[in-house]
Amino acid sequence: MENLPERNLVGFKPPPKTVWTKRTKADFRTGMLFLSPWLIGFFAFTLYPMLISLYYSFTIYHSKRSPEWVWFQNYTDLMTDDKFWISLNNTLYMVAIAVPLGLFASFICALLLNLKVRGQAFYRVVYFLPSIVPTVAGTILFLWLLNPQVGLVNTVLEKIGIDGPNWMADPNWSKPALILLGMWGMGGTIIIYLSGLQDVPQSLIEAAELDGANWFQRLWHITIPMVSPITLFNLITGMIGMFQYFAQAYVVGGGDSLGRPLNSTLFYSVYLYQNAFLFLKMGYASAMAWILFIIILLLTLLLLKVSDRFTHYSG
Amino acid sequence: MNRKSFSILSILLMASMLLTACGGGNQPTSTEESGAGEQKVLRVWIQWGDNPQQIQELFDKYGALAGVKVEVTAPIEDDKVLPALTGSNPPDVLVLSGGDAAKSFYKEGLVDELSGAIEDGNIDMEDMFEAPLSQCRQGDLIVCLPWGTDAYALFWNKDLFEAAGLDPEKPPATMEELVEMADQLTITNPDGSIKQFGFIPDFDWSHTDLYVRNFGGFWYSDDGSALTANSQPMIDALTWQQQFYTKYGVDNIQAFRSGFGEYGSPDAPFYAGKVAMMVEGEWQVGPNFIPKLKPELNYGVTAFPPPADHPERAGTIVNQGTVVVIPSGAVDKEASANLLAWMMSPEIVAEEFCFNANLPTSKKAAEDPCFVELGDKFQVFVDLMASPNAYAMITTPISFELNDALAGAEEAILYTGADPKETLDAIQTEFEPKFKELMGQ
Repeated sequence: MENLPERNLVGFKPPPKTVWTKRTKADFRTGMLFLSPWLIGFFAFTLYPMLISLYYSFTIYHSKRSPEWVWFQNYTDLMTDDKFWISLNNTLYMVAIAVPLGLFASFICALLLNLKVRGQAFYRVVYFLPSIVPTVAGTILFLWLLNPQVGLVNTVLEKIGIDGPNWMADPNWSKPALILLGMWGMGGTIIIYLSGLQDVPQSLIEAAELDGANWFQRLWHITIPMVSPITLFNLITGMIGMFQYFAQAYVVGGGDSLGRPLNSTLFYSVYLYQNAFLFLKMGYASAMAWILFIIILLLTLLLLKVSDRFTHYSG
Repeated sequence: MNRKSFSILSILLMASMLLTACGGGNQPTSTEESGAGEQKVLRVWIQWGDNPQQIQELFDKYGALAGVKVEVTAPIEDDKVLPALTGSNPPDVLVLSGGDAAKSFYKEGLVDELSGAIEDGNIDMEDMFEAPLSQCRQGDLIVCLPWGTDAYALFWNKDLFEAAGLDPEKPPATMEELVEMADQLTITNPDGSIKQFGFIPDFDWSHTDLYVRNFGGFWYSDDGSALTANSQPMIDALTWQQQFYTKYGVDNIQAFRSGFGEYGSPDAPFYAGKVAMMVEGEWQVGPNFIPKLKPELNYGVTAFPPPADHPERAGTIVNQGTVVVIPSGAVDKEASANLLAWMMSPEIVAEEFCFNANLPTSKKAAEDPCFVELGDKFQVFVDLMASPNAYAMITTPISFELNDALAGAEEAILYTGADPKETLDAIQTEFEPKFKELMGQ
């Protein structure tokens, strides 16, 4: 404190100590009362299930009989479980490819939708509409679009001389097919980017224009840095969402063919679901859930740490 | 209202809401008797259900008979079953779509052993076909009762046989002959793509259970006490299927399959003449399928043929189908048992499964004229039920996990050309210790 310049302390007042008068206690009680629905929900439906799943992850627990404490056996078993690694690899593939690709495509679409052209509102609605189509309906629609024989995608590819793949029946193409499906429904990310683009100060753009910067230079040096917090937000939420990828794979698998073809759509959450609700291995599934939680936590912290270098906050 | 009264009132309101939300555990749950004069409610969950209205009407008859209200939920989604069984409010009676889950559920204490209910309800066990019943036996215990059942046979398109120069009245008599005929019935386009296919062994889903029985084994020993995933019959069954994919190319067949119409639609490939032979269940000949969707289809049905060197295996079928269990958490076990006894009576079995053209598990029910009215083709399946080579799916507490692994192995063998022996050896190595541990060996 002694190194601080004197002027910084001018006018500084330490916060007053809370005096627990009868009135403040009553206010506190009332405040807690209003908070209580959320608090009860948090403790009962978030914190308790998390803690109990942590306990179960150290047990052999199937469903109704008492859990049997086995220390780290579930975790060590997972390390030698081929399907665990396959599901993790499949999920990492989606995180590494689908998330950046989705961000890039969303940003490009947002840039286009930000252009002041005739019918701008119409285009925005068109791009946003797929994101409100229910996941199951959208997935089934895509299964038809990607049908190798009668689907629209392969029909168009055939017109330009390309022999389209077997998409969902070919393990090499099933994940790219799901990525296509994801990109079709990226309206939510586009909207967030669009709002970010509209917050880019016009004064900066105009100043750059006066300095002779071309469109690409303005984009690279002003727009992209100014929307970098949005990019970080979309990246983190997209990554977390992709680690929990389930519904589309469940629909594609039709419930009893999960992971087909050849485990190429066996994602982490799908395998976790199988273990918990089909194989009745709740302890094993709980261990999987905690490993996923730790992976997501570490990657999020890493992204936040690294983001300091490329994220620019105005003001 | 002063501040203090407001706070007290709010706390009371919150508490009452919480109690309402969390309550139920100590009250009559699925079997509600909320007051004098109010009707008892029994809940029945059914994992399958093509005709929910018809099945509710069927159970309404029991309601009228027993003076209770029966609420039927059909079909119930798979992922709702386990939470309900482990929770405090399970249904009074649960009908599972297959026997494989029943033993896992029993092992976990989620469903009851039924000897008591069978005795109290005077259920005639002698009247049941042994094959479907065997999927519910666990040693001397009975953990479920088969309600309806399915069997699979070979369907062949007589017009396509004739067009290929084959006798339309002579289906293949051996598995080897089936392969030869399938070749003759397969037509390719000038670009090599498939126009018509003779036989797809895993269409619409896996039939390895039927093939492996024809090769003289299964993936468990007959008494279910040993795992035999890499036995010779298993290797033979998968090698036999693999040849169809090897000969015509996986990509080619997959591309051909992807153009098939929906199951249960007039465009389904067997109806549309794209596939000449298929393995399918008895419901296909009932009023909801071929007679309704493609009445002009000229086809025949026969038992799937055995290998040439084992004619004694003719008439092999593998039964699988719905089983009834009583959840261990059911509130009024007596009411559940009474309802179970009513469901298992020959008259009710006949009524339910005639309507849906499925096979009855009761011998007396099978004599009901309504099954004769379903026609000669349906009779092929009824006769097969009494075949000395009628088996049921062998189920164990490890069925779900093992079947999933076997499905993966089948995929690898058929679609990637993986070696059947090596693939099955890997399954045996992985699952044998788990199986022995689970069976207490």
